[in-house]
Amino acid sequence: MTTLLHRRYTNAQLNDLISTSPLEPVSLTDDHRLSLAARFRAVAGTEHRRLDAWTVEQAGRPSASFRWSPSTARRVIGNAALRRVQRQPSTSICDAVREEIDDQLLRAASGRARAGSLASWLCRLRHPALGLVSAEAINWTTQVLEIARGLSSPWEVPASDAYYDVATARTTLRGRRELVVVNDATRIIVRMRAGAPGKSSGPGLRADLTIDALANHDGVAPSRIIGLWPEAGVTLSVDGTMADLRAGARDLVRAAVVQRRARLAIAA
Amino acid sequence: MTTLLPASPISVVDTLRGDRAARPLANTTSAGGLRAQLEDGIYEIMGKRNSSAPLVVRASSLRQASHTTDVSLSSLGRIRGVLINQLLRLHCVGESIDHAFDEAVEAWRAEAGASDLIGRLEQMDDDERARLATDVSAHSITLTRAFGSLASNWMPRSAVRATQRLGAGNVVLRDMVDLMIGTNSGAWASVVLLDVTTSPLGEGAERAMRYHALVETLRTSIVPLRTSAFSTATGDLWALDVDHELLSRSANEVLEVINELWMSQ
Repeated sequence: MTTLLHRRYTNAQLNDLISTSPLEPVSLTDDHRLSLAARFRAVAGTEHRRLDAWTVEQAGRPSASFRWSPSTARRVIGNAALRRVQRQPSTSICDAVREEIDDQLLRAASGRARAGSLASWLCRLRHPALGLVSAEAINWTTQVLEIARGLSSPWEVPASDAYYDVATARTTLRGRRELVVVNDATRIIVRMRAGAPGKSSGPGLRADLTIDALANHDGVAPSRIIGLWPEAGVTLSVDGTMADLRAGARDLVRAAVVQRRARLAIAA
Repeated sequence: MTTLLPASPISVVDTLRGDRAARPLANTTSAGGLRAQLEDGIYEIMGKRNSSAPLVVRASSLRQASHTTDVSLSSLGRIRGVLINQLLRLHCVGESIDHAFDEAVEAWRAEAGASDLIGRLEQMDDDERARLATDVSAHSITLTRAFGSLASNWMPRSAVRATQRLGAGNVVLRDMVDLMIGTNSGAWASVVLLDVTTSPLGEGAERAMRYHALVETLRTSIVPLRTSAFSTATGDLWALDVDHELLSRSANEVLEVINELWMSQ
């Protein structure tokens, strides 16, 4: 049975979701990891696979090829700016975003950016387009900071998304997360999304939950993952139960199977 | 003799922020009642029947009555509106604007990629393009002179989108606020909404202002402090303090639009 909860997004509701999260965190064992790796290995492939919640939401179907734009760049720059603001609270959001963009440009200018990266895209832009990138990133950072400031439990901005390389299966899983709320011995993941949630948003959240548990050194799952859609004023949450972790892992393997079939069809 | 003042007599930002000491406590109780008002109204209009596709209400649905024609909604008017919106976004992040038209187009292309409106812009001949560039420059000057400077601690964000589903998904309210300042995390109301339009302000602009406040209230469950509209055509600024009466009036206007859309199906 799924633990998916749908609520309106208000500070009170969000704090309620945090305070009522399960107290006993579930842990993944080595057997779970080995079993998952065996399933991914069974989905043969020649290329390195990268899977995330978006792949699960698309049910593994190939989506339009990724291209950088102010909208696709906002999360990376916005979250990095948020880390700067957290490190140095006297820094304004605008300044933090500007500093982050400057760092990216410096990386590209010093030849440390690989082709296709955010830095190499930014360094090709002229200043009006860079201004729009700043505007989008400022919107993102402001929104996440507003969410964080409404929390009554201690929170932190993670240093990066959660990544897990599945052993000998040429598969990398990426779990996105904006904030980690530390509540006693448990942790709660907060994700922010644009637009409004769809029918596949629950499975997407479960995938993020599973990846976060796998990426944890001890396999400890977050007690709850909360997805926020501020544009729609809606939250969805999923508890870190074993049933939800299993469902998340199944969805990821299923997405890999569909991806593989699509590649074979293209090759044929 | 025409004399041009070095600065506009009004500063949009200062007017919107108003007197800090006079701000009311944040109203967190009105949203539920407004949602119920809309849900009841939608049920009266649609009953138990479902719409084949969701009825979509936007601020533009309230700006003009369905039987009138608004020249600002022609493709040229829409392009001008989009370009001024890009300039506003650049202005908000402190970018200096030297060539308003070229820079607005550059910013727009970075965001939109290929679209019908960009295609229309590319099809313009030199004369048409020059006329549009002159027009955009004139609107940009009005905006820049009147706007004032935005402090970053006011948390400005531009082109803020909102979506609300009502009537079991049969009705979708969509909105985009050109500029939002202030925060919902304090005890006092401080969020101000600004709609920048390239048309002169009229009754439709007032309805759109109310609509922005209504959707923001439904989205966050907190009533914003003020809603406003600025015309780059005339330099006029209208600002209204948001209260329950204003929001309830907007809910009735939205129900009228839904009724029209439902009847035309």
